[in-house]
Amino acid sequence: MNDSVLSNNIRFLLLIILLICITTPVHSNFIQADDSLLNKQRAFKAEELTKGERLFYGLVYRDQKAVSCASCHNTSFSDELNWNPDAIEISRKYTNKSADDLSKVLLRPAVEKMAEVHNGYQFTPEDIVLIKAYMDKLAVIGLKQSKPVITNLFLFILASILFLFSITDLIILKKIKRQWIHFIILFATAVFITNSFVTEGLEVGYSPEYEPDQPVKFSHEVHAGQNGTDCIYCHSFAHYSKSAGFPPENVCMNCHLLVRNGSRSGAFEIAKVINYYEEMKPIEWIKVYNLPDHVFFSHAQHVEAGGLKCQECHGAVEEMDRIRLNQSLTMGWCIDCHRTKVVNFQNNRFYSDYKNMAERIRNGETDSVTVERLGGTECMKCHY
Amino acid sequence: MKKYWKSVEEFHGITVGDNGISEEKHKEEFLELFENGLLRKTSSRRDFFKIFGFSLSSAALAASCKRPVQNAIPYVNHPPEITPGKSLYYATSFFDGHEYSGILVKTRDGRPVKIEGNALSSFNNEGTSARVQASVLSLYDDARLKLPTVDNLPVNWDTLDEQVIKDLSGINSEDGEIVLLTSTINSPSTIKLINEFGTRFKKFRWVQYDTVSYSAILEANLICFGKAAIPDYHFQNAGYVVSVNADFLGTWVSPVHFIPKYTSRRKPDSPGQEMLRHIHFESGMSLTGSNADKRIKIRPSEEKQLLTELYNRIAARQSGKEFQGSAGRYDVSEITESLISSKGKSIVLSGTNNVEIQLLINGINSLLGNYADCIDLNRNLNIASGIDSRVEELVNDLNEGKVKALLMYNVNPVYDYPGSGNFLAGLKNTVVTVNMACSLNETVGKAKYESPVHHYLESWNDAEIIPGQLSLAQPCINPLFDTRSFQESLLKWSGNSLSWHDYLMANWEKEFFQKSDLPDFRKFWEVCLGNGVFSYNISDSKPVSFNKEVLSASINSKVSVGTYGFEVILYESVALGTGLYANNPWLMELPDPVSRHCWDNVAAVSPADAEKLGIITGHLIKIGENLVIPAFIQPGQAEGTVSIALGYGHTNSGPVGDNIGVNVYPFVGLIGGTRVYGFTTGKLENTLKQSQLALTQVHHSMEGRPIVRETVLSRYRSNPSSGNELHEEYELKHRTLYPEVNYDGFHWGLAIDLNSCVGCNSCVIACQAENNIPVVGKAEVRNRRIMHWIKIDRYYSETPDNPKVYFQPLTCQHCDNAPCENVCPVSATNHSSEGLNQMTYNRCIGTKYCINNCPYKVRRFNWFRYTNNKAFDFNTVSDLGKMVLNPDVTVRERGVVEKCSFCVQRIQEKKLLAKLENRTLKDNEIKTACMQACPSGAIVFGNLKDRNSEVSKLFQNPRNYHLLEELHTLPSVGYLTKVWNDEEKKS
Repeated sequence: MNDSVLSNNIRFLLLIILLICITTPVHSNFIQADDSLLNKQRAFKAEELTKGERLFYGLVYRDQKAVSCASCHNTSFSDELNWNPDAIEISRKYTNKSADDLSKVLLRPAVEKMAEVHNGYQFTPEDIVLIKAYMDKLAVIGLKQSKPVITNLFLFILASILFLFSITDLIILKKIKRQWIHFIILFATAVFITNSFVTEGLEVGYSPEYEPDQPVKFSHEVHAGQNGTDCIYCHSFAHYSKSAGFPPENVCMNCHLLVRNGSRSGAFEIAKVINYYEEMKPIEWIKVYNLPDHVFFSHAQHVEAGGLKCQECHGAVEEMDRIRLNQSLTMGWCIDCHRTKVVNFQNNRFYSDYKNMAERIRNGETDSVTVERLGGTECMKCHY
Repeated sequence: MKKYWKSVEEFHGITVGDNGISEEKHKEEFLELFENGLLRKTSSRRDFFKIFGFSLSSAALAASCKRPVQNAIPYVNHPPEITPGKSLYYATSFFDGHEYSGILVKTRDGRPVKIEGNALSSFNNEGTSARVQASVLSLYDDARLKLPTVDNLPVNWDTLDEQVIKDLSGINSEDGEIVLLTSTINSPSTIKLINEFGTRFKKFRWVQYDTVSYSAILEANLICFGKAAIPDYHFQNAGYVVSVNADFLGTWVSPVHFIPKYTSRRKPDSPGQEMLRHIHFESGMSLTGSNADKRIKIRPSEEKQLLTELYNRIAARQSGKEFQGSAGRYDVSEITESLISSKGKSIVLSGTNNVEIQLLINGINSLLGNYADCIDLNRNLNIASGIDSRVEELVNDLNEGKVKALLMYNVNPVYDYPGSGNFLAGLKNTVVTVNMACSLNETVGKAKYESPVHHYLESWNDAEIIPGQLSLAQPCINPLFDTRSFQESLLKWSGNSLSWHDYLMANWEKEFFQKSDLPDFRKFWEVCLGNGVFSYNISDSKPVSFNKEVLSASINSKVSVGTYGFEVILYESVALGTGLYANNPWLMELPDPVSRHCWDNVAAVSPADAEKLGIITGHLIKIGENLVIPAFIQPGQAEGTVSIALGYGHTNSGPVGDNIGVNVYPFVGLIGGTRVYGFTTGKLENTLKQSQLALTQVHHSMEGRPIVRETVLSRYRSNPSSGNELHEEYELKHRTLYPEVNYDGFHWGLAIDLNSCVGCNSCVIACQAENNIPVVGKAEVRNRRIMHWIKIDRYYSETPDNPKVYFQPLTCQHCDNAPCENVCPVSATNHSSEGLNQMTYNRCIGTKYCINNCPYKVRRFNWFRYTNNKAFDFNTVSDLGKMVLNPDVTVRERGVVEKCSFCVQRIQEKKLLAKLENRTLKDNEIKTACMQACPSGAIVFGNLKDRNSEVSKLFQNPRNYHLLEELHTLPSVGYLTKVWNDEEKKS
């Protein structure tokens, strides 16, 4: 995905698209009278592109039973998880293909679920050419930004300017005669600024419920929940390394060599994984559980030695479609657990070196050994 | 009490600031700052607004702080041997033409991050030298050659190959001579390949060139024994060693091989063995001289007379042939008696590159019968093969136009050949010149074809360091640049379609597979590759016979002793060696073990000469006509001699090494066909100009308290705690008002045997590599801000004329009553339940109270951000250099204190491993980086709670003491008193 390059070189890319379209011979299995139209390459006028857009948004055939393209395929950024591929992804996929190819998928989809939804489309070949033209345009411009919201930063800067202005006016300019106005402004902005500092400051590096869109719409719910795949099947190093590991694509291919059709996203997302694999490109997943660099954390320590279940820290992942940060990941959260969790003192021979503690257990002075009592809350257990 | 001191100035009671500038002068400089108005400058209104604007914008930024998106990128096809987050070790070999070690390379996610000794390699066991430790940084050097060039223009390999093959065959068809000039090569497969390459041409010559030559030993042994080889010295079998001008613990032949053998005989209490007694003659103060029981100063010109006399006396006792010679300045009767009484169990050696001297040495050793047990010529050391006269011959031939093509590999004669101008002229005279180098150097760019080679961590290779002791080298990372191994190039140019890897395998199958007892070759290869080493028994060749007639025939009986003028000795420094790694910032900042200076080479002058000429440390002196160099007053330097380190003064080695110090290779002389590392001059002038030296000597001083404790062997025998009486006294006095801490499980401790530590500084670089310690540069070292977590302090006693020298590795002492912990206002440093003095960087606010309160001065402050900071462009600025960082250790920010952590990352790693394997921790399982790198085993780490652990036993040893134990800080580091094998001195 080289979207940044695309957006920078619109003209160049259009030229390339054109060139590729011209030079790629199109072989069609079923030749119909209108196919000449579908395969013809031409430049589009502005009103034609507008018509393509209207078709995409379902504004032309009002009586058409099927839903519009845009109702399933996002054209703008969204926080909601949409299992259908967004408009850009499809557009890019079809950039180098002809309107004929699009027509086939659009009107006679092979995938069951898609066939159901696309049933009832009455696009003419010319419509498809226009839709394709609009999609080519989409591929270049990318997803629309959702409406700008007034960010805290904006408010903060505004408050700071007001504060500064008011203080300057109070001391130097003295334009506003009524001083109580100054004091009200100063008080209000000072409260706001302090509040922003405290709340935002406390949340630096703190992003609960972080749930970014991943490059592939992978569902933990389907894999770990419905299919009951063990976490270790994919995150296979959790028992013996500090990293649990992200599954390499060859592990995905163990199943997806055969499984090509998903229950949520149809064939599109799985096709992406297969494509990545065939092109020997790694998938750049977005990390959700981010620890700062100065923290040492070992999965092996917690999963194997400590015997913790994955869910104890990561939550009910098997019920999540998109992976969501389930914990604050603050030091307090770590320490709280270290204070209460009991170590496997009797059953792991490693702990037999703690002779005093063993003695106390034997004498019945204590019955459980928490992580903290073996030094589990000391600085250099995690920071070095 | 005996007086210990650290510099001549201290001995004479002069208070010094840094770098030999008196305190007065220092004050003046400080006052100048005020006069210049730098500190008087007041803040202006503009400054106020600048700061105000900055804080506002930074507050705004903080208010909208968003964490950057981080990606996790898995493999497409996961290589089965790699586990993310775990280290993978490859066994390989280090040989750079000068120094050898069998090593393990620790790689993380495909990149080498640390070098460790290979315990299976009997040559060096787990020990490594500082240079081997630092070699991993050279892999990530931006000064490495990145692509092939023809006439300094980039080309691709096919073009280069095509042209080289065409040129070589053109020369061959005209019967022109083709010469291959390489550093010493001890790889059996490469030697075979070179010979095969040579047979393709009508006239071919292979010349090996050593930057620092051992030619005389090779020639002398050829004359006496018919074998041009450097023998192996078995110090572990010797009871008496006399060495002359040979720094065999620092630089001579193979210190990493000699140190463990030597120190194994330096233990005062090893059962059934007498402690080795070591007598050392030398001019400059070397590491070996510092460790000798008796060090005698001589001028280089006196050496022959000394050895002749020694030979004569021994011969006289044994009715051997005598040479003519007058008695010298030194009474060698005692040495003669000792040598004769430990006949067959002694070693006499010399490091002087002079055939006559080496013949005398051979004569003495064979009179004493040392060739049986102590000096081994059958299993010799393949560490240097260059014969000086052949190089001379080559340079002459080049200038006469006899050589038509010159291929160079791993040599830099434009820098280090004494007549480099002559060589360069010859090079210009040659039609086809090919240079094969790994990194930028002075010779690069002078040849027509540049065919850059892999770093050793990227290449396949093998080595036969001792006949019968083979090792393999394997790539630990994919080549970073468009380079190709030297052997691959030879194969290409000789039209062989085999890859070097296949060639190597085929050769092993043919030559060495039959020597193993493994059934099939695949298995043999895998075992060898896994172990890194393979050894087989060589048939014990006939006892080496000594040819006495040749000896008497070739010894020129006339002995001349220089009596006037200054004799200059050019030596290899412990840090930089021959200068091959001048662009390695770790080595550049490694202080010399004896003089404790870095980032420069200096002229060491004796205190007496300095007084005579009015020299103070740092004065620029002019030696001869055109050598101007800063002087350094070196206690123990022989009068009338000056020592200068080789390897500095590069002009094209990269940004770190260039223009640091003076290149003294041009002053290397040539006498009787061998290179002489020194010269005589009548002129030595003091220019009175002051130069800025980076001395680490007065850093973090401990101000004359009883730091080093020592005794002599005879007293030790009668009382094992002799010299350490204070320990018992202080132990009795220990009282505390606070409840005593009772550790449960683990209490980590470190024991350092001062008798085993020779001061080689390998631990310093190992620690630097392990713990991501930044390099600060010369200016900051001068500001006493060097960051090393472990340093080797050097103390002197007795007189500056010829002092005794003590080395003491110093790390954080991890005191149980740590003074630093009480004064931290934010509790950034506190104590763990395992006895570790913890340092938490994120809590630290940089008050430096802990540094002030630490009696050992082992804490370091990050005055600057050393990462991504152009002002400290050493290795943590470029992405390439940063690849060396250890991912398990935090890179520290500006403004925090740091110090030795007892390699807590290694402790935690091994504890976890034990937990995962459901077992207790084994003793010696956890090795700190310093312990692991130490070739002599002087450092032992372990659990003090375990009464049977090695460290506990050492702590119970009567020699054990703690630094400043009268302060009741209860350090977790113990030192064992130094025991000299010497008579007691009345002081």
